[in-house]
Amino acid sequence: MISFRNVSKVYNGNVKALDRVSLQIDKGEFVFIVGASGAGKSTLIKMMYREETPSSGQVFVLGKDLAKMRKREVPYLRRRIGVVFQDFKLLKDKNAWENVAFALEVTGTPRREVNRRVTQVLNMVGLLDRRNAFPNELSGGEQQRIAIARALVRNPDILLADEPSGNLDPETAMEIFAILERVNLYGTTVVVATHAHDIVDNLRKRVVELRDGAIVRDERRGAYHY
Amino acid sequence: MRLLGYIFSQTFRSIWRNKLSSFLSSLTTGFALFLLGISFLVSINLGFMYEMAETQMEIQAYMDKEATQTQLASAVSQIREIPGVAEVKFVSKEDALEELKEMFKDKASVLDSLEEDNPLPPSVRIKTAGAEHIPAVVEALQAFDIVDDVMYQEEVSRRLVQIGKAVQYLSLGGMLVVGLVSVMVIANSIRLTIDARRQEIGIMKLVGATDGFVMTPFLFEGVLLGFLGSAIGTGFAVWVYNWVAMKIAEFIPFMPIVGLDPDALWQMFGIMALTGVMVGLAGSAFSVRRHLRV
Repeated sequence: MISFRNVSKVYNGNVKALDRVSLQIDKGEFVFIVGASGAGKSTLIKMMYREETPSSGQVFVLGKDLAKMRKREVPYLRRRIGVVFQDFKLLKDKNAWENVAFALEVTGTPRREVNRRVTQVLNMVGLLDRRNAFPNELSGGEQQRIAIARALVRNPDILLADEPSGNLDPETAMEIFAILERVNLYGTTVVVATHAHDIVDNLRKRVVELRDGAIVRDERRGAYHY
Repeated sequence: MRLLGYIFSQTFRSIWRNKLSSFLSSLTTGFALFLLGISFLVSINLGFMYEMAETQMEIQAYMDKEATQTQLASAVSQIREIPGVAEVKFVSKEDALEELKEMFKDKASVLDSLEEDNPLPPSVRIKTAGAEHIPAVVEALQAFDIVDDVMYQEEVSRRLVQIGKAVQYLSLGGMLVVGLVSVMVIANSIRLTIDARRQEIGIMKLVGATDGFVMTPFLFEGVLLGFLGSAIGTGFAVWVYNWVAMKIAEFIPFMPIVGLDPDALWQMFGIMALTGVMVGLAGSAFSVRRHLRV
């Protein structure tokens, strides 16, 4: 599903964000990427949806070699990958429903299909009754659930989350991870970069730890620390 | 269909959001196209003048206002004898006034005061056997004491053509400069739109919108601004042209001015709109390439 082969990323000629990373993530896995700030977690996630390309090495996602992928193919890759961020990235002038529907509309999905999918996915994150609320009327946890709904509305093969609970209190964070876990149960591969120790320790999923851009640990049922 | 609706609504929303900048871009483009329009109109008239010059090779000899009937009659018969002259027609002061009145028709009353003291000189109109005889005939006419001034259509046309060409070059040169400026102004207007929608664009790309889909509203916005500019430019050019034509008809009645019929107007608007759309497309494409990073 996702495969990194000896991937390095160098910024501005000398800043090494990733250092010879090799990583294999299979279909249906739930993987935590942990490590200190600047360890390369975000760069790793960005490479998976081809926001970044490797300086050397190969990245395969959904059977495609992303380094060789042509620019006009990237949108079609992204339609199969949902991405969630720490800052939610919702559009302030659109309400919850419109924010989720937007992801389908910009790819020309027919209105009936949009209505069906958006209803389904808002229901799944438990916010169908808040569909008319604008982002500033929603709590942080609710906003993140809307963002997750948007990431899932296309039924992606992969869900990527970069610090999804970074702006949330521990209790709300737990809710978010419960949703991610449920998404994973339905078969979507989930990769989460996080600092949330408690949750990583609790969920006992695969943990990949990065330090200075290199993988220093990869455990099947790991904790945040050794 | 939905896609088209999306593109239209996005475009109108962002034009409305950047009212001032959009208006300025259209206005600048309009000005560039105004110059193009003027050049176009001048060239229509130039063509018309060339035709006139070829068909009407008439020489006008304006006679001394104080000349007596006998002096004039003898001059006319002598003119008939000049080699190359084919036709001679004498126009008295009174005839000249009548012609002038005919030309003004409904405004003829302003000429009533001229009845008492007619300032128009008597003249002789000469047609030659061919254009090649004109210089010799003109020279012969100028030798007469009684002849005050000699004018001939070709000379007038030649001068008008020269002036017309100068106007055309000036307006085309101006158009190039202002055209470039309008490309930049439109580019800037599109940049404002892109800046205002940067987050939205980011999300569009994140969820898999194609580059074409992301770019199209911006390109369309530029095209629309250019098109609006062409409407402004055409309107302004036609208005100025009609005003100038009216003034010319008032002060230089014999100067031929082409009236604008609907066909010519549409042809002109077609050229202007096409140019406007290209200018708009160039401006928005420039901005999209530079600021959209697609």
